[in-house]
Amino acid sequence: MDIATSLVVIALSALIHASFQLSMSVLTLLSANTIGNQKTHRKLVGLTVSFVFGAGLMTLLLISFVTLIFMIIYDEIIPQYIWAGACGLLIGVGVSIWLFYYRREKGTMLWIPRNIAKYLTERIKATTLTAEAFSLGLSSVTAEALFIVAPITIGALTIIGLPATWQLIGLAIYTCLSISSLIIVSVAITSGNNISRIQKWRESNKYFLQFASGAGLIILSIFIYVSQILSTAIGQL
Amino acid sequence: MITTDIIDSEDSTNIKKYDRARLRASVMSCCLSVGCPEGQADTIANFVCNDIENWLTDKQEVTTKDLINKSTKFLEKYHTEASYFYEQKYLII
Repeated sequence: MDIATSLVVIALSALIHASFQLSMSVLTLLSANTIGNQKTHRKLVGLTVSFVFGAGLMTLLLISFVTLIFMIIYDEIIPQYIWAGACGLLIGVGVSIWLFYYRREKGTMLWIPRNIAKYLTERIKATTLTAEAFSLGLSSVTAEALFIVAPITIGALTIIGLPATWQLIGLAIYTCLSISSLIIVSVAITSGNNISRIQKWRESNKYFLQFASGAGLIILSIFIYVSQILSTAIGQL
Repeated sequence: MITTDIIDSEDSTNIKKYDRARLRASVMSCCLSVGCPEGQADTIANFVCNDIENWLTDKQEVTTKDLINKSTKFLEKYHTEASYFYEQKYLII
């Protein structure tokens, strides 16, 4: 893959990551509680910024960690069976998103086990300090590891193929784009938009977002398969 | 004085007495979240608590789910957006 194509693949992976909703749900509830408890606007801004910063930092750490692991094991040349495995992972996670991501109930209830959801809700209610909001951002990304493993793996495998300077740019692009949805929602909330309208939008578009995330992963897997496996196989003939 | 037992819908061993202050705080917080002025939120929360207490008068026990559904329904009379968000609050994650 050339540099431009690699960056497009990284950007697409990050946008798929951004369409996942657990961090978004936590941010919505955190903001609602903060406003509902009559905290100052400054406090609301502090908590949402800390949350987004926490989510961004955890994403950066995860993608850097996965990139480093692949780099240590494979250096710069990724064997084809790894690409093939990654394609399988993308398809598996894509289909799982179509089948399981949202519960078939009212609202935007996600796949996560109910005891974890209850724990997160209790933590959100107890959050009053920016440090707590920051750690909530870290844990909301970790809690969604089951789904974000697919875009992060592809992002990491693609970053390895870039020249050293571009690798840093790749990491930055992935991190910034993956938290772009959180940045948009936190700006919307802190600039005075009604939370119930944001939740209404999320609820009415949840099946579209679910379809788009799953389809995005499957399209990405087809692209990776053609560019990394099929083109090499044809070249060897 | 309302002494109805409130049973947790997800854990039937968790039973608490009805607590007006708790319900009032929850409804008021929800009204404030959707941009209600403080005075209006306070009035609405009191109205909803009164409606809930009238409904609970002849009941020995109800589940938390019943309480949420009824509160949502009563809240809808006073503030549609707050009612929507009150219901959603438990369905976001």
